[in-house]
Amino acid sequence: MAYEVTMPRLGWTMEEGVFGEWLKQDGDEVQAGDLLFTVEGDKATQEVEVFEAGILHLPASAPAPGDVIPVGALLGYIVQAGESLPAEGGEALKPVPQEGQGTPGAQAGAAKSPGQAGPASRQGRGDGRGAPTVSPRARHVAEELGVDWTQLTGSGRTGRIVERDVRAAAEMQPVGVEVDASPVARRLAEEAGISLAALAAEKPGSRIQREDVEAAIAGRQQQTQEVEEGAELVPHSRIRQITALRMAESAHSTAPVTLTTEADATELVALRGQLKESYARRGLPVPSYNDIYLKLTAAALQEHPTLNASWRDDGLILHRDVHIGFAVESEQGLLAPVLRDAAAKSLRQIAAETASLIEGAHQGRLGNEAMQGGTFTITNLGMYGIDAFTPIINLPQAAILGIGRIVCKPAVHEGAVVPRQLVALSLTFDHRVVDGAPAARFLNTVREYVAEPVLWLTA
Amino acid sequence: MRELTFVEATLEALDSAMARDPSIFVVGEGIGERGGNFNTTVGLYDKYGPERLCDTPISERGFVGMCAGAAMTGTRPVVDFMFFDFILDAFGELVNQIAKMQYMSSGRLKMPILLRGAIGIGHSAATHHSGSYYPIFAHLPGFRVVVPSVPSDAKGLFATALQSDDPVLFLEHKSLLFNRGEVPEGEYTIPFGQARVAREGTDCTLVAIGSMVDKTLAACERLAEEGISCEVIDPRTIAPLDMETVLASVHKTGRLLIVDETFQPCGVGAEISAQVIDRGFDDLDAPIRRLNGAHVPTPYSPTLEEAIVPEAAEIEQSIRDLLAE
Repeated sequence: MAYEVTMPRLGWTMEEGVFGEWLKQDGDEVQAGDLLFTVEGDKATQEVEVFEAGILHLPASAPAPGDVIPVGALLGYIVQAGESLPAEGGEALKPVPQEGQGTPGAQAGAAKSPGQAGPASRQGRGDGRGAPTVSPRARHVAEELGVDWTQLTGSGRTGRIVERDVRAAAEMQPVGVEVDASPVARRLAEEAGISLAALAAEKPGSRIQREDVEAAIAGRQQQTQEVEEGAELVPHSRIRQITALRMAESAHSTAPVTLTTEADATELVALRGQLKESYARRGLPVPSYNDIYLKLTAAALQEHPTLNASWRDDGLILHRDVHIGFAVESEQGLLAPVLRDAAAKSLRQIAAETASLIEGAHQGRLGNEAMQGGTFTITNLGMYGIDAFTPIINLPQAAILGIGRIVCKPAVHEGAVVPRQLVALSLTFDHRVVDGAPAARFLNTVREYVAEPVLWLTA
Repeated sequence: MRELTFVEATLEALDSAMARDPSIFVVGEGIGERGGNFNTTVGLYDKYGPERLCDTPISERGFVGMCAGAAMTGTRPVVDFMFFDFILDAFGELVNQIAKMQYMSSGRLKMPILLRGAIGIGHSAATHHSGSYYPIFAHLPGFRVVVPSVPSDAKGLFATALQSDDPVLFLEHKSLLFNRGEVPEGEYTIPFGQARVAREGTDCTLVAIGSMVDKTLAACERLAEEGISCEVIDPRTIAPLDMETVLASVHKTGRLLIVDETFQPCGVGAEISAQVIDRGFDDLDAPIRRLNGAHVPTPYSPTLEEAIVPEAAEIEQSIRDLLAE
């Protein structure tokens, strides 16, 4: 193989050099270490030695004394006896890429250290182990294209099935490539530039109808809705994205029904007044209305375990313990920390724990753990003057209780119209999980517990 | 566009930053009147004088320590090590003080120090003047590690380094220093942690570092003649490392080769490859390969020296091997 003689970089800052003269002639035999040519430096002429033995071959365009040559430019070749030269033409003086030594003759690099570039292990495990080996990507693509890779022969070096094998097999597959779509859907999709294949992938096994394509077009329009002048696009926070995802999933996948009722909270208000006075005097955290609702709802859930349940496609999970999530509005958005074992805890314990959870939510330092594992949720909009509303179920739970404001109204009590403290209760439940009657019975128990705290206080 | 050498490009960035910011000064051996062994400070002594171009004796630990103190008081020292190998004499100062000071002071103290030097194998510089060592520094929390491959990146990254409040190691491969390339006029910065896609392709991804970028591009050029399409990514900074660009490319190609002149064990290639396996496993169509300089002290002999550095032909062969996997 021909060895290239190039203009060397003799100083760190040298970019080009003045060629002095050849110290060997064209056709001379040279030994490694022989002085081959000179380069004129700033102060002295420097002799340059050759590192390879062979015969010096100077192309027609070899430099003449006094020529200014860029560092790395080809000057000539050292060839072995009988060796043919690489095509030279007029390109001999063209500066070769300094690093690449990139001419057809430069095979030296390839032979240099073959072991280094080679694979760490030459032992494939494509044989004697049953199924052929498959690359993760090929397996992934096979799944996407519906190709059974176990039937393929791999073209990888060790017989491994790689992406190209799967794609080739998919092209060979006669069926499954054609998308089943109605003619109208096909035309609409074509006009709007919607991929039928993508729609088919979302709805495997079913015919693509006009509505599917229209939905895809609507989805796309929503995506590209422009921000009109004067408006502002606020990028989604992480919590907003998660909230949106959960709410949409709940709204689309549950069968929600909301029941509302009004409870007489006069005694509850009295109880809270008493707690406030006694607890504050002793320096204890005063239970809030929310804490009281948490406690009495936990007691009601123990009596109605079908509401303390989660939906799964293969069955219902009836939870033994009652873990109640409660909605907290924080600066970052809606959070629902979970009070664990609510039924087993005293009101005093609950007050202490919720205080710390709420503080954590406001400071943005609640871990995921603190917000997971709830079996039921309570949301209270009373402080905003709301009565009844339709909360959205916190999946995979079965129901959520919405609590309204406590408001003093004329009511019939023991046969007389008197002012009473009333509160609206809204229960949204997933009709897939529980039917209307048991849900109504549960809400009625909650109503009774609000009206008569002694029932759960002494339970 | 006009062309500059790599060194001229960083010199331009240094000059304009020094003109604007009187707190920047350069410390090192032969960087004053002499203008630096690699011409890194040519002309600056005449402009800014001996106080801001401070020649030192051979006392790396001393002047690096003093510069750490100076940086803590709010100035911006640029330590020019000439050969990056000499930074090892200040390793204790670097690891125990410079990298940790911001953390230890709860951010009250900044460490805006720029440490530069020539790295890499070539020109028979032998074993004490051929080191690169960037994986060592990328391993330690606190450092920004910059390894540019073209003059235009060198200028923009150097300007960013001069504005950084974290310690920056700016490493310039000796074989690149006098390469020419197009460099925009005026001041501009290139953010750290943003890789450059030096060539787009679909068949395999090549991550090439520093002097390996040009060699890898040359190999790809040859393979392109056969219709083989390679994507070449130049990370530009090793810390922070832009894994997103690498992962996106592997997602497209399914195959990855990392070409790096530095030693293979515990190197940048090992880190990139581990992260791709972790985060892009399902995208991989073949084992990840690394091509590195040999794991030996750098020899003086030019032929031996050439034998331990990956060249274009070897890179080309490695790509062929990877595609055959």
